[in-house]
Amino acid sequence: MTVVIGFEGSANKIGVGIVRDGVVLSNPRRTYITPPGQGFLPSETAKHHRGVILTVLKEALQQAGLKPADIDCVAYTKGPGMGAPLVTTALVARTVSQLWGKPLLGVNHCIGHIEMGRLVTRANNPTVLVIALQDIREERLDRARVRICDKLSRKNLVKLRAKIREISPCFCKPFKTIIVPINYHQNGRHSSGGKLPRTGSNPARVIKISNDPSPGYNIEQMAKRGKQYVELPYTVKGMDVSFSGILSYIEEAAHKMLGSRQCTAEDLCFSLQETLFAMLVEITERAMAHCNSQEVLIVGGVGCNLRLQEMMGTMCKERGARLFATDESFCIDNGAMIAQAGWEMFRAGHVTELPDSWITQRFRTDEVEVTWRD
Amino acid sequence: MAVEKTNNHVLHFLRSAELLKQGAEARVYRGEFLGKPTVVKERFPKLYRHPTLDEKLTHRRTVQEVRSILRCRKAGISVPVVYFVDYTSHCIFLEDIVGSVTVRDYINSAHTSEAKNLEVVARKIGEILAKMHDEDLVHGDLTTSNMLMKRGPGCGEADLLLIDFGLSYISALPEDKGVDLYVLEKAFLSTHPNTEALFETLLKSYSASSKKSQTVIKKLDEVRLRGRKRSMVG
Amino acid sequence: MQYIAKTPQQSELQTAKFIWIASCCVYTGFEMHLSQRLELFPEYTVTQLLFKDVKNATDLRKNAIAGEISGALINPSVLVDPFQVLVATNKALHLQKIGKMKTRSLYSEIIFNLSPTNNISEAFKNFGISDSDSAVQVVLVHADAEQNNMDDILSKVDGQQISVHHISSLSNIAKIKKLYKVSPQEELCGSLLDAVICRMATKDVL
Repeated sequence: MTVVIGFEGSANKIGVGIVRDGVVLSNPRRTYITPPGQGFLPSETAKHHRGVILTVLKEALQQAGLKPADIDCVAYTKGPGMGAPLVTTALVARTVSQLWGKPLLGVNHCIGHIEMGRLVTRANNPTVLVIALQDIREERLDRARVRICDKLSRKNLVKLRAKIREISPCFCKPFKTIIVPINYHQNGRHSSGGKLPRTGSNPARVIKISNDPSPGYNIEQMAKRGKQYVELPYTVKGMDVSFSGILSYIEEAAHKMLGSRQCTAEDLCFSLQETLFAMLVEITERAMAHCNSQEVLIVGGVGCNLRLQEMMGTMCKERGARLFATDESFCIDNGAMIAQAGWEMFRAGHVTELPDSWITQRFRTDEVEVTWRD
Repeated sequence: MAVEKTNNHVLHFLRSAELLKQGAEARVYRGEFLGKPTVVKERFPKLYRHPTLDEKLTHRRTVQEVRSILRCRKAGISVPVVYFVDYTSHCIFLEDIVGSVTVRDYINSAHTSEAKNLEVVARKIGEILAKMHDEDLVHGDLTTSNMLMKRGPGCGEADLLLIDFGLSYISALPEDKGVDLYVLEKAFLSTHPNTEALFETLLKSYSASSKKSQTVIKKLDEVRLRGRKRSMVG
Repeated sequence: MQYIAKTPQQSELQTAKFIWIASCCVYTGFEMHLSQRLELFPEYTVTQLLFKDVKNATDLRKNAIAGEISGALINPSVLVDPFQVLVATNKALHLQKIGKMKTRSLYSEIIFNLSPTNNISEAFKNFGISDSDSAVQVVLVHADAEQNNMDDILSKVDGQQISVHHISSLSNIAKIKKLYKVSPQEELCGSLLDAVICRMATKDVL
């Protein structure tokens, strides 16, 4: 029996999970929720994590009914992610590892998602669509903003600034994985630097999309009320998608359409979802055709989106393939996924020595040498 | 299954044709049309997409494919002849290149002793892509499966054909051409392991043939670098 | 595609049993006209007839305009191969079926479809017959059983019928290259017929 404890804190969630041979014994988590219309800043997120991490750790051990002596390995998120929260999490992991005298193991966040997805769904070697809806934490990216404005009533102007990072997804062959970073982000400060101007300066006129539980969830809810399909730019190149066209389109044309009441903010959320997801399903299908794969696994926060699951399901049905979608408790960042990936790696003989136990904000999935799978 | 317009004579015809393969976005059939061996590419409706989006995309891609084929032929780049297009069922009737193999299969079946032949093929691909890019045509989905070779030794340039122009578009930007080559590089190296040298031959031949290759290759290097940086995400 | 070879001597035999021959080469050596079935429209047969030394082109043209000839009259000098006519006819029938013809009748649509451009009057000028023409290619679209309109055409054309497969002897290659704007580099990757067919098939999206 191998018991691994995993610490995840690469974004606004802090989680500790314990896994014993494919069984999740505990998986408590806390989310740093910022006020509506605001993103999360690294330092404030780290502060939040520092405040609750020990409580979460205690919960994890209690729920699992284990003592530190029962643990075989301490896994933590090495990256990618936001610097300050990663440091906080790694610091705690390093400390417990030394206190308990257990080996330490740094884990790639994405691989955590993938291994957790495989564990939960029992999919063997699926094409994995990793969609990170929350924050992608790559600081040098172009930060275009999407503004969806609408007059819902005379007094209220809905201003949703969805932020979709323009970034090409990577197709990672050893995992058959497409990693697509999508980030709906609200108006206001951005998590990884706060360099965007605050536009919430006139709160009376601004209805913000709430961060609770996540902007993506709220966009999904708004989209359900949308009826009219507005055509948005659709760009697929090979197995890559590009979101830049959508960004500039919504900034310019859609703004006018809302002004002249040709469509509502709900319509735009609906169209945004329809377009983005169609692109994602299309590249997933291409990847499947490319690898002759008959299984799809969606992981990452947006994997919870029912419309995406529905669309992916339809595509799979047409191809005679199987879709695995992990549920909310595992789609969203959590400790157990780090523990699970750690469990696989630990069993394959991986450990991270103390001097190597650093973190990195940038960590490519295909930089990880996979030795634990055939 | 797709909601088929059963009254459509084209779809009716396809039912008696031989289904060659079902790709991600189209079914490919083989049959005889007006007495000629013909391949039909049917872009069937994708039920997962919003119907409006689906119709627009499918139509646009059919049109784009047809346009690009014509553009290639006018420039002297070998592509299959278009016989007939049905814009209601989104079917393109194309010349069947009888006896051809995909470059993918050709490379995979080649023995080590045929390394010289592979180099010839790589050079030829480079030349053709250079010609295509000089026409400001970007293929959008370059893979070795999207290139056909007429069998037989001593084949001239006309014996290598490009197919599948569904994602192609017109652009003079070196960036777009660079990405085009990058897409091919990724597909090439993942389909054919340990062929870095062969792909290098292809690029060299591209550089030598294209008038504007310098800026394109520079962009390709940039895109490669960016691909590395950009994918470092969680 | 199936070719029906018919000669007057054989006609009795054919009414009893059609002889379907995959390749036309065997019979067409002594066949004047060419009848072919379309895969997409099995209910129709396309018959092509070719005449030279035609003396009544003016009358024929007038008759066609008045709708007294149920056939398309084409200037053979712009034709490379009977396949070209087949492609145009198939497209015309298709557009008729989906209600998207650009011209008034099936026969005018066939002529229009031969043209590389979307200009209707230009198409008739270049591909229809004119009063001074001495050769004409007639295209008939009919149900299988119908034989009558072929006799009708034969009675109306004052000229010598020759085999449709001799069409290339009447084609004006230089004119065709100019009309379809075929460049020398294009001919490197295919035949003149390929170039012509491609333009006809793709002109809707120009």
